[in-house]
Amino acid sequence: MPDLRGSHGDQPDHILTRWFGTPDLHRLDVYSGKPGGYAALRKALLDMAPAEITNEVKASGLRGRGGAGFATGTKWSFINRDAPGPKYVVVNADESEPGTSKDRYLLENSPHMLVEGILIAAYAVGANQAWVYIRGEYDEPHRMLHEAIEEARAKGYVGPKPFGKDYPLDIRLYRGHGAYICGEETALLESLEGKRAQPRSRPPFPAVKGAWGRPTLLNNVETLSTVPWIINNGGAAYAKLGTEKSPGTRLMSVSGNVLKPGVYEVELGQTFRHVIMELAGGPPEGRKVKVFWPGGSSAPVLPESMLDTHTDMEALAAAKSMGGSGGVIVMDDQHCIVRAAHRLLRFYAHESCGKCTPCRIGGDWAVRTYERILANEGSQVELDTLQRVSDGLQNGRCLCGLGDSAGWVIDSTLRHFREEYVDHALRHECKVEAPQEAASA
Amino acid sequence: MKSPDKTALSAHVLDEIKELPAKYPQPRSAVMPALDLAQEELGHLTPAAMSEVAAALQLDPGYVEGVATFYSLFHLEPVGKHRFYVCTNLSCALRGANEIVDHVKKAIGVGRSDQVSADGLFSFEEVECLGACEFAPMMRLDHRYHYDLTSEAIDTLIAERRGVLHTRGEVAAKAAKAPEGPVKKPRAPRKKKADA
Repeated sequence: MPDLRGSHGDQPDHILTRWFGTPDLHRLDVYSGKPGGYAALRKALLDMAPAEITNEVKASGLRGRGGAGFATGTKWSFINRDAPGPKYVVVNADESEPGTSKDRYLLENSPHMLVEGILIAAYAVGANQAWVYIRGEYDEPHRMLHEAIEEARAKGYVGPKPFGKDYPLDIRLYRGHGAYICGEETALLESLEGKRAQPRSRPPFPAVKGAWGRPTLLNNVETLSTVPWIINNGGAAYAKLGTEKSPGTRLMSVSGNVLKPGVYEVELGQTFRHVIMELAGGPPEGRKVKVFWPGGSSAPVLPESMLDTHTDMEALAAAKSMGGSGGVIVMDDQHCIVRAAHRLLRFYAHESCGKCTPCRIGGDWAVRTYERILANEGSQVELDTLQRVSDGLQNGRCLCGLGDSAGWVIDSTLRHFREEYVDHALRHECKVEAPQEAASA
Repeated sequence: MKSPDKTALSAHVLDEIKELPAKYPQPRSAVMPALDLAQEELGHLTPAAMSEVAAALQLDPGYVEGVATFYSLFHLEPVGKHRFYVCTNLSCALRGANEIVDHVKKAIGVGRSDQVSADGLFSFEEVECLGACEFAPMMRLDHRYHYDLTSEAIDTLIAERRGVLHTRGEVAAKAAKAPEGPVKKPRAPRKKKADA
């Protein structure tokens, strides 16, 4: 376990991180010794009917923490528990949204919380086997999760009769191999099946036809890690936290130009000013926040003047952005927005799976346009091209959200920082950063 | 590492690969774990190795190559014995990742991403976000993450692998001089780094 940069300790608004910092929390005996540790699984298996579990999650109002924010209990109820044949739970641990490290934080600190959440979810939706798709670069989290599963297996929690209940439960691990697109759920399923990770068209949705053609529940690491608390304390208690439509807490990984980067557990509805200026300590002395990405690099940027935007999903939607993955990237006034956007477009161009034309072509087109602008070869043509490419990438022209995300980077930075683009493209100057060679590939 | 002209997979690796499909609900899921085993033995995936994996899994060689070329963790060209994967995405770039990249390139003597040093000891790759943004700038060296990178920390890591620093004492003395030393004991408290 590395040193903790982020929330830990028992506080009223700490649901996920309340025991973080306890030595050896990653070990089953320590986790079980904490109030609630594996008590939720026991309760779910012995005292609750599967539908009751799903209803409790529905009552909590928990929404998926992977990016889309879909209602978790509703997603669970899409699986027909009585359908014959195997069903699966697939856990998305392929965290790779730029600026997001919260699932790693959970895996390294409390893998048993996830294991418990997975087992409860599997029982609730009628699955006997769960697969955790974990990103290939996460060697240490993989090792810790593997050990946690084996500890749970030794205890019988993973096995033919967990807590004596005649309901076999198993968890398997599958390692990703470096592809951002696998964060998209149908691309992840393709990858799990041993294919190139290209998104599927929907319907059919994974709840009907998911992994290996079977009904599948897909949830993010943080989403499932929240479930044990909800089962222990009740959905109503969870719903009391946060806002009416975005209840509870979420982990926000704050990175970039702040004094205390870290993964902070935040009650939804707090402002970004609180998250960035207080929890993360604000920018270095003498500098100002210029812009922030409120939910990973795919979330449209918000300028400093919007620091008082609230963290709940409705407030972010009203600000024309989104909560996304909870990755908050902060950039100060010493950095150039055009260069930042160029770097992110390189990312989206590189990670496009190539299936849909607007995304396959648009990303590279945008990168070449940014390169001309940064090489002081820009003109109004380049500015117009960026806007046109951005429009072409958005609005559901692609099977998944990767194209939209690339478009939002262009669109939102242009919208809030048009003057800086004009300086670069028309006046061939940057008022923010000293000139440097266009970033190398 | 096998000698460079060794391309075919050894019998025990092929046996291991043949056992993989039974572990999954459908056998095709074994293709990436199988390529992992091949890459582990050879360092990178040669066409011959991919064909052998395909034969062992009863898949078309073109299919296996299609999978291997899609994912960035599969190497289709030779790599160094030690591999630097330096994140240059935004969170790291805002805290000096580009300087770290320049330093690594100079220190191991390569001109660009995906190159191998002349002695074959190191290779370098610029990569996308590795999901440890609170420790930026950061990188993965082989199978381990290294945090709060500085030029000095990079030098120490390289020297250790070159065998320049022979004893633990020398390594410790060097690390003591560099306050942002490499992450050897992740639990050890570290001073907060001023913004780059």
